[in-house]
Amino acid sequence: MKPIIVARNLAKYYQMGEVRVEALRGVDLELYNGELVVVLGPSGSGKSTLLNIIGGMDKASKGELYYEDIPLHEADDKELTFYRRNDVGFVFQFYNLIPNLTAYENINLSVQISKNPLSVEELLEKVGLSDRANHFPSQLSGGEQQRVALARALAKNPKMLLCDEPTGALDYRTSIDVLRILKDFCKGYGKTVVIITHNTAIARIANRIFYLKDGKLDRVENNDNPLPPEKVTW
Amino acid sequence: MLFKKMLRDLAENKGAYIACSIIIIIGIMIFTSFTQVMGNLRLSQEAFYSEQNFADGFAQVQAMPLAEIKKLEDIRGIEEIQGRMVRDVKVLFPDREENVYLRLISIDPTQENPINGMELMKGIPLNERETNIWVDNKFYEANNLELNQEISIVASGKKRDLRVVGIGRSPEFIYALRTSSDLYPDPETFGIAFIPLEIMGTFFPEGAVVNDIVFTLRPGVSYEDVEEQLEPELKPYGLKRIFPRKDQTSHLLLTTELEGLESTATALPVVFLSIAGVILYLMLRRMIEQQRGQIGILKAFGYTQWEIMLHYLSYAVAVGITGGAIGGLLGIALSYPFTSLYQLFFNMPGLSSEFSPSYLLLGILLSLVFALIAGYQGCKGVLTLQPAEAMRPPAPPIAKRVWLERITFFWNMLSVQGMMAVRNIFRNKGRTIFVFLGMVFSFAVLGLTWSMNDLIQKMIFDQYEIVETYDVKVVLSSPLEEKKVLRELYHFPGVKKVEPLAEVPVTLKNKWHKKDVVLLGLPEDSSLYNILDKNYNEIKPPRTGLLLSERLAEVLEAKTGTRLQAESPMLASGEDRELEVVGIIPQYLGINAYMEIGAVQDFLGQEGLATSLIVSIDKEHIPHLQKEYRQSAAVENIDDKGERLEQTEEVMASFGSMIYIFALIGIIVSFAVIYNSSLITLSERGHELASMMVLGMTPAEVNSVITFEQWFIAVFAMIAGVPVSKLMLLGMSQATSNDVYTMPTTMTGSSLLIAVLVTAGSIWVAQQVAARKIRKLSLVKVLKSIE
Ligand SMILES: Nc1ncnc2c1ncn2[C@@H]1O[C@H](COP(=O)(O)OP(=O)(O)OP(=O)(O)O)[C@@H](O)[C@H]1O
Ligand SMILES: [Mg+2]
Repeated sequence: MKPIIVARNLAKYYQMGEVRVEALRGVDLELYNGELVVVLGPSGSGKSTLLNIIGGMDKASKGELYYEDIPLHEADDKELTFYRRNDVGFVFQFYNLIPNLTAYENINLSVQISKNPLSVEELLEKVGLSDRANHFPSQLSGGEQQRVALARALAKNPKMLLCDEPTGALDYRTSIDVLRILKDFCKGYGKTVVIITHNTAIARIANRIFYLKDGKLDRVENNDNPLPPEKVTW
Repeated sequence: MLFKKMLRDLAENKGAYIACSIIIIIGIMIFTSFTQVMGNLRLSQEAFYSEQNFADGFAQVQAMPLAEIKKLEDIRGIEEIQGRMVRDVKVLFPDREENVYLRLISIDPTQENPINGMELMKGIPLNERETNIWVDNKFYEANNLELNQEISIVASGKKRDLRVVGIGRSPEFIYALRTSSDLYPDPETFGIAFIPLEIMGTFFPEGAVVNDIVFTLRPGVSYEDVEEQLEPELKPYGLKRIFPRKDQTSHLLLTTELEGLESTATALPVVFLSIAGVILYLMLRRMIEQQRGQIGILKAFGYTQWEIMLHYLSYAVAVGITGGAIGGLLGIALSYPFTSLYQLFFNMPGLSSEFSPSYLLLGILLSLVFALIAGYQGCKGVLTLQPAEAMRPPAPPIAKRVWLERITFFWNMLSVQGMMAVRNIFRNKGRTIFVFLGMVFSFAVLGLTWSMNDLIQKMIFDQYEIVETYDVKVVLSSPLEEKKVLRELYHFPGVKKVEPLAEVPVTLKNKWHKKDVVLLGLPEDSSLYNILDKNYNEIKPPRTGLLLSERLAEVLEAKTGTRLQAESPMLASGEDRELEVVGIIPQYLGINAYMEIGAVQDFLGQEGLATSLIVSIDKEHIPHLQKEYRQSAAVENIDDKGERLEQTEEVMASFGSMIYIFALIGIIVSFAVIYNSSLITLSERGHELASMMVLGMTPAEVNSVITFEQWFIAVFAMIAGVPVSKLMLLGMSQATSNDVYTMPTTMTGSSLLIAVLVTAGSIWVAQQVAARKIRKLSLVKVLKSIE
């Protein structure tokens, strides 16, 4: 099978005066269609940096990155914008909803700019918030906000969903809800989902697990029998 | 420590602070330069007046023996009174086409410190027995004269040579206009000359008689009391006009200019400093919102509220002092060219600019006060914050639906960005009002600017192209020469039409109002001088009763049907007569009353009287005509309308640069308001905007949230700006209209259109500049911070 993402010797440096911080130090990896990948690693190991570069939010200092054979390391700001717009969805620990748009409108914001969007009503149904469509973020709980953020990311119908600690601020039950939606999206639509987490238990739902250490991909673990999210406990 | 934090914070938001400082700088620059120039003008005016013994009252009579003047000194309240002979004569410069005039003013060389005396700048005292003169410095310079040079004049049809022995200037002609219908001094074609009375008397058939009287008052005496006593004394000598210093042309125009400067020196800086104040206020308030956590920690450390408050106030102080100091210095620098500009128009000594630290300090102080008030308002929130509370994030802004959403038709038309923008407008009322008021002001100023430009064009065009359609005006030396000259002119080559004109000085009175004006008598079917109503329909000069110009009617509080008392030195019987107002017409240049010429003659009881002839003639024959009559005794002067129009237009061109300054102010204000509101929005909602970019929106799409909000407000601001602009125009017209010109108050459609375009243009540019910041927004950085 052909990978959707190929990274070769990806590196990211930050020059802070005299000191050079090396956030990524030569990462090689592939991501495939329809797989769910969990990224684990200690704080500061470069997880977010890697995800941001793969998602076109940031640029690598060195190395090559291909999305379906398109060299993203050569793309300019405009091309990256359209890459994010059409092909990538993001979910963060802090939901980043627009405070003065309702749940419905927040999702619609994403629909408005995409070529073949999913229906807002269907998504609200899927994340179980149909009755909260006209509520503003400040009127929703954290878990509900995260589900709206998820729906917003999915609404564009991206090929790839990148999640940076999506359950980091949520309790167990809500976390499971969110993970189930992610898994459904991955399986149901055949999309690639990448989840960064500090919670090793979550790794059990993944097809593959990436371990990052000191800016390097330490090892990759294959999981042939991923658990359904409901079965995961911690 | 905190000082370092302040510098870093300032550097981080340097765009907004720089923009804010620039506005302060402009405000303070205007303040210091204008106040300094005004101060200079005032001081030199006062010094010059007292030095040269400037008159408190003026009177003009037909003729009066010099000896009679002495007796008037006994009138209670009069300090000094002096009689003079004043006559305008033509100067013969070889190879000069246009008319050049010299106003001869007689002087008694033996008199010490005469009223309205000339300050001798160069040369020697006048010799009583010789045909020597002093001329004013501007005329001297403009015509490249030299001391001891002789210039030729024509007086009573005879050529005379006068030797220039001195140059100087007089407080009576600081602003030297030949007639009150001139707008600006033109030293090249009009000068003042002082000459011994005895010598001057030999030039004219009536000899050395007085036709002009000047007097000063004892301290504490009112002019009106003196006028009351003086008037009957002068009546027998053909009193034409008696008026106080405040109506003296040069003094009046200088005073008007000073008042204008004063109001500009207060109004504009207040506008600019207020805008800067609001920006500062908004920025500090936002910063305190964002730094709640830091404030909480500082408080927890044990910093007192005042220490923290002072820290935040130090931002305002920094901006205030820098802005004030730079603005003050620039203002002082600007006052030099400014003063030289005034030297061009106002001819008085001591008019120079010098570095004065007091104005600089005043400017800094003013800016500091504004900054502190704005700063205190912006950061007083610090005081009420409890440490524990401070460390919690602020209560989320209450997002709610706005009433506009109920207009579903409108709401459904909006993109999601549009919805965000509209909700922001209502959520952030303070900023909305700021942007709204800024745009209203900017639009109104721009509308006013271009309206004024249009109106000045209209004033000139109407007067010279529609009302006065003649080519030259032949002014007769005696009112009764009409028939002879008329006949001559008809046979002059190129002449197409000749019409008589009677210009009669009259005093019109209604109730307690009184005004000296020129009554114009025109032939009923005149085609060279057209009286028009508001809609440009021609009105015939009335055979019975009077037409008044709008401004004259206003001054006299007269309406159609009002019966006015009229009095004139040319009135044969010498008694007041009653005249009814039969109509009121617009007139922008000058103020006049109008009658049919036959009716004027009947009114005066003088058959066949005409003071000038207006002539339609082929352009190429005008120089010929001027040459022919230059030395004629019957013709006093040939006034070429084209020349006058040219001069007026030249002057208006320089006025045009003033207009661009106003336009610039409008543009700067709208730019600053939009740019700052963009920057504030950006730093307040950077998080929100970054998350939209993460979704894959282009910078332009993200920017549309901000720009939609601004355009939405701007549309309403421009609508509101129309009446505001109209009000400003009314105010401007009231403030600037005088007997020389009346500013019309109709807003022109094209000027509003230009105002819309220019405002929109500067909004757009400001948005583009601010949009660069969006493109530079680092997604990773913004999203890392928790809102
Ligand atoms: N803007 C920056 N400037 C300098 N160094 C940075 C910057 N962003 C990240 N780093 C450094 O790069 C390294 C990797 O950061 P990254 O955020 O990718 O770690 P992470 O694995 O996501 O950690 P966490 O689990 O705590 O989120 C860290 O050492 C960090 O200090
Ligand atoms: Mg991270």
